[in-house]
Amino acid sequence: MTDQGESPVRVMVIDDHPMWRDAVARDLTEAGFDVVAAIGEGAQALRVVGATQPDVVVADLRLPDVSGVEVTRGVLAARPAARVLILSASGEHQDVLDAVKAGAAGYILKSASRAEFLDAVRRTASGDAVFTPGLAGLVLGEFRRLASGPATDGKHAPRLTDREAEILRMVATGLSYRQIAGRLVLSHRTVQNHVQNTLSKLHLHNRAELVRYAIEHGLDASAADATGSAGSAGTGA
Amino acid sequence: MGFQAPLWRAVAAYRFASLAYATILLLVDRGNYARWPWAWAVLAGMAAWTAVTTRIYATPAGRTNIMLATDLVVTAAALLSTDLVQYGSASYVGDMPVTATWVAGPVLAWAVAAGRRAGMVAAIILGVCDLVLVHHTFGHLFAGADLNGPVLLLLAGWVVGYVSRLAARAEYALQHATQVEATSRERDRIARDIHDSVLQVLALVQRRGAEAGGEAAEIGRLAGAQETALRTLIASGGGQAAPFDRLPFGELDLTALLARENSAVVSVIAPAEPVRLAGETAEQTVLAVRAALDNVRRHAGEGTHAWILIEDEDSLVSVTIRDDGPGIAPGRLTDAAADGRLGVSHAIRGRIRDLGGTVSIDSDPGAGTEIRLRIPRASEKA
Repeated sequence: MTDQGESPVRVMVIDDHPMWRDAVARDLTEAGFDVVAAIGEGAQALRVVGATQPDVVVADLRLPDVSGVEVTRGVLAARPAARVLILSASGEHQDVLDAVKAGAAGYILKSASRAEFLDAVRRTASGDAVFTPGLAGLVLGEFRRLASGPATDGKHAPRLTDREAEILRMVATGLSYRQIAGRLVLSHRTVQNHVQNTLSKLHLHNRAELVRYAIEHGLDASAADATGSAGSAGTGA
Repeated sequence: MGFQAPLWRAVAAYRFASLAYATILLLVDRGNYARWPWAWAVLAGMAAWTAVTTRIYATPAGRTNIMLATDLVVTAAALLSTDLVQYGSASYVGDMPVTATWVAGPVLAWAVAAGRRAGMVAAIILGVCDLVLVHHTFGHLFAGADLNGPVLLLLAGWVVGYVSRLAARAEYALQHATQVEATSRERDRIARDIHDSVLQVLALVQRRGAEAGGEAAEIGRLAGAQETALRTLIASGGGQAAPFDRLPFGELDLTALLARENSAVVSVIAPAEPVRLAGETAEQTVLAVRAALDNVRRHAGEGTHAWILIEDEDSLVSVTIRDDGPGIAPGRLTDAAADGRLGVSHAIRGRIRDLGGTVSIDSDPGAGTEIRLRIPRASEKA
């Protein structure tokens, strides 16, 4: 629909609810996206992600076999160029935060309108971080939690710059990027970059933590991902 | 198993202790015995029976009615054998029978196995044997302290039986509670799955309805309202105490309390972990937030969106209420406060000041209003 003259964005849909999966796939196709796969199970999706080469993976947070967090991790391991957009019905909770820490690029509620959803996929494809106010609140809380953690962790903890914190607070109280840009006299792009940075910091910190954990427990770094997914399976159960 | 096992061990311990006592008495009261060696034979029999009962009563399968009856008969026989081994005169001066306190064994066993009534029945049977032994004629019955033994037996049967039933009931209650807990945990898990499915369907109906227009749009709107309501209900723990039970006594999770304000036009945004506040402080904060939301509805109109951001900053908790309404003209707030008209002054500022916190209000015409409440953790109340 926009001015993507070249090849259409390749999207993979992972959702166990058949009605939703079909509706989402149809909406995407009608909007000009190339839906390369629509799959109901996480494990199956991880098997085909290498072959289907999606640019964007739209994944439900609750899947019958593996959690959305593990899907996120698995997708990014198989195809680092892909961007994962998390879709969920239940609202913002710990599992959304876990998915973002695992590298998800954005999050949107299922109650969003079709236009909002398509816009979110489009923005995810172009490299934006798709935030809801709820996600911003979770991310703010997570940075505070990391900073006030045990002394040894506090040193390694990532911190938000004042500007990033200010912008996240604005997102969390319902302001759009455009409104924020207007208030702070910044470009729309700059606001987006700040928001994107906060997620990258969390993701990087999470990866560093996994590696540290693996080394401390006598596992080599390549086992870190597996350890991490086992750990998050615990929180998802 | 459970609470019964210690009681049976106590019965066995009682028998061994009594056996030791009977042995001492036999050594000391040698003069009372006409056939002293035979008395030792009776004692040997008692020792053997103590070993047998200890062994058999140790497992639930051994605690049969036949075993209990045999126990009573054997003990009664040992008691009555006193008549054969002691001098006839010994009975009249109130000496102990050869079994001494060992005689209470079956009373305790019956009481533990079947409760007070059974314990008292066993006590009466053995008590009658004891009295028959001592008093060959009814006339001497109330002469000495001879009734003490049977009465003590009766009381022991009653008390131990009572304790045994109490233990059984406690065990049942504990088992029941464990079952209930397991069931409710499983139900919670199923409920989460079902809620998620229902939310998905409601969101889908809302979306399709809005696109179809007309009557379907109305259905979609209704589905949307229910979707928000259900999500709110889940977020606030379904109105149960669930979100609170992990918190230290007297503290509440501000997120769970404020989650009830969620609606189609109000979004509550919070960190993933509970935001703990002392109960009273949390409740006052909720009232202040409600006052702020009332203001939004009253002054900015029904359709105005509001966001409530809860932030946990270690020493203080911050709650920001922002709306996208028309905003308040500069000076109007202070004017209103001076007139005592606006709720902001009293319901919000007053409450938060009492908690030792601060309120800042930021508003520009056309840019909505932002009220930020900062509430200290260790509240310094005046």
